[in-house]
Amino acid sequence: MNFDLDADQRDIADGARDFYRGNASPAAARAGLEGGRLEPGRKALADIGFLGITVPESAGGSGRPLLDLAVVAEQGGAVLAAPSLVTAARAAVLLADVPDLAAQLADGSTAFAVLDGAVDASAPSVDAADATLFLGLDGGDLVVGEGEVVPGRPMDATRGLASVRLTSRRVLAAGAGELWTRARQAGAVVMAAEDLGGAERCVQLGVAYAQEREAFGRRIGSYQAIKHMLVDAWVGVEQLRSLVWWAAWAADSNPAELPLAASAAKACAAATFERAASTLIQVHGGIGFTWEHDAHPYWRRAKVDRLLLGDEAEHLDAVARLAVTGALGAGR
Amino acid sequence: MDFDDSPDEAAYRARVRALLEEHAGELLHLAPGQEGVDARTHEAEMRRTQRVLAEAGLVGVTWPREYGGQGGTLVQQAIVGQELARARVPALINHIGIGMCGPTVITHGSQAQRDRYLARLLRADDVWCQLFSEPASGSDLAALRTTAVRDGDDWVVNGQKVWTTLAHVSDHGILLTRTDPGKPKHAGLTMFVVDMHAPGVTVRPLRQMGGQADFNEVFFDDVRIPDEERLGEPGEGWRVALTTLMNERVAIGGAGGAIGAPVEEFAEHARERLPRLAPERQVLARQAVGRAVVAALAARYTGYRRLTVLSQGGIPGPEASAGKLAGTEAGLLMADAGVRLLGDDAVYAATADGDDRWQRTQSWLPGISIAGGTDQVLRNILGERVLGLPPEPRNDKTAPFSGGTR
Repeated sequence: MNFDLDADQRDIADGARDFYRGNASPAAARAGLEGGRLEPGRKALADIGFLGITVPESAGGSGRPLLDLAVVAEQGGAVLAAPSLVTAARAAVLLADVPDLAAQLADGSTAFAVLDGAVDASAPSVDAADATLFLGLDGGDLVVGEGEVVPGRPMDATRGLASVRLTSRRVLAAGAGELWTRARQAGAVVMAAEDLGGAERCVQLGVAYAQEREAFGRRIGSYQAIKHMLVDAWVGVEQLRSLVWWAAWAADSNPAELPLAASAAKACAAATFERAASTLIQVHGGIGFTWEHDAHPYWRRAKVDRLLLGDEAEHLDAVARLAVTGALGAGR
Repeated sequence: MDFDDSPDEAAYRARVRALLEEHAGELLHLAPGQEGVDARTHEAEMRRTQRVLAEAGLVGVTWPREYGGQGGTLVQQAIVGQELARARVPALINHIGIGMCGPTVITHGSQAQRDRYLARLLRADDVWCQLFSEPASGSDLAALRTTAVRDGDDWVVNGQKVWTTLAHVSDHGILLTRTDPGKPKHAGLTMFVVDMHAPGVTVRPLRQMGGQADFNEVFFDDVRIPDEERLGEPGEGWRVALTTLMNERVAIGGAGGAIGAPVEEFAEHARERLPRLAPERQVLARQAVGRAVVAALAARYTGYRRLTVLSQGGIPGPEASAGKLAGTEAGLLMADAGVRLLGDDAVYAATADGDDRWQRTQSWLPGISIAGGTDQVLRNILGERVLGLPPEPRNDKTAPFSGGTR
């Protein structure tokens, strides 16, 4: 039993934390709602190598496991970085046999987005708003093409959501349904990892405020009403961390478990991040409800992420269907 | 990252498994769907089961060899626990003695007490109980009122304990008493080993809300305890009790085992029962099943992270309390979904063919949210000792207990 990050992965996490803290922030996420530039941006993520973590070395990537990408994504999520590493994770799976495009993904020379739903009228898709080349599933085939982008008014600008109508398309792989599903599961794991980072940061900010703010003659963190809310959010974060690590490990080392683990992690992430962000606002009282405060960018991310790549209901249903058909195996 | 045993752990597991197979004929085993054995009706078989396991070297795994233990690691203890569960051997009759009383005697007892008690405890020659809670002191243990008054070479004990698991089959107990009411509540306590067969000890069963009677109330009327049965110095009882409670945390939080039903058993139940529900109910039921499975898997894999810490030589800290909170929540979600899956039978205490597995689980889980640290006390521990939030101000820590500020 060795269910923990190894020394390399801890180093990767430390490096990613330093990078993201220096190059992104909830303040930037808030500014993005009023047209500000999203941080750190695609080029910076390409330059530091994050977009190619799971792209094969032969295509200019690092050829590392999804767990490494998840560890990095957690740090990005903690400061609401944009764009998401979800697209990097998904596209790396989809482009495994298309090295020239995979190289453009890794070096950031092409801005990819992966479309959910129909390619002639896609569902709101992550980081599609400023993308130039789109991957989609069209009648069971994996296609790539350019498209017309229709963004909505953003609830969370850092997600770069937009609907897309492909204006050109080229088949990259016929009968790619299974590949597509696996890529979406990898994306769900990475989004759960970003949510893990966001949720943990919410708990840290809430705890810090509860340690200093005083009311009725004492610090509010001493009141059980406040303390227990924060503890429940923290326990949720620790549970989510276990599912994210397990799901990322499964993607790398035991793919048969990935459907169950990815859905469990994504369902847990939706509820956990939402609770942590709501708790952050409530612990702060009125100041937590203001535009200038960092609470609402986290809350916005939570409210949006819970619906992307399958909402909680979809993933709970998937977990139930898998569990009753024996996906739990004989237990570990 | 992996979920495999190290070579040493794998070899140890294989040895444990072989021993359990070798002695299978001498051990109690749980039937499918059965989660425990009643010590009231199966005391002799339960004592025999533990003795056989002790002689095979599978009891007191982490105890020092000089006291009859195996000198093993917490991970080996966890492996034994997993293999006992896998073989469907019920909880040992002396699980409280092994997990809590024995370690307290090891830490605070005299050499004579260790020699007198520990080997017999491991073999279940003697069964032990823990006499802490009282009618007026539950979570606030240090508010207890049972008194011990020095009289020559003895102490004379009067008072009442409650929620005492296994008292009805116990030979000895560790007993926390107040010996100096003039001191603040935590400072006036003293711990003893008490002979449960001594004159003046009366044990009465307490029937729980589910109908079973696993625990008891215990009355002490002028019970004489020789001073040599004191554990630790007079007035040091709180420190001694903390040793017990620390070991309780290891016992509960160490292995990350399931609380309530194992998730595999729950999934099997759902597989059987989901198709029998009306189609529009199946959609809703799958949501509840999925939610319970996610919670159970999250608790399980969080347990594996704790096990990893143990595997690398760490000890469980206060964060282990989170394991009990999350495990309880998962158990409650599975029990609730498990009952709902029964359709019309969910409103009865058993199905038409007499199966009460899920109703029974539903009716004992409320006790798990209270025993071994209530959910609320655990949240205080986590909030203060893990998150670093300030404690609530208290006015009961410095005044004399007899002064009325309790």
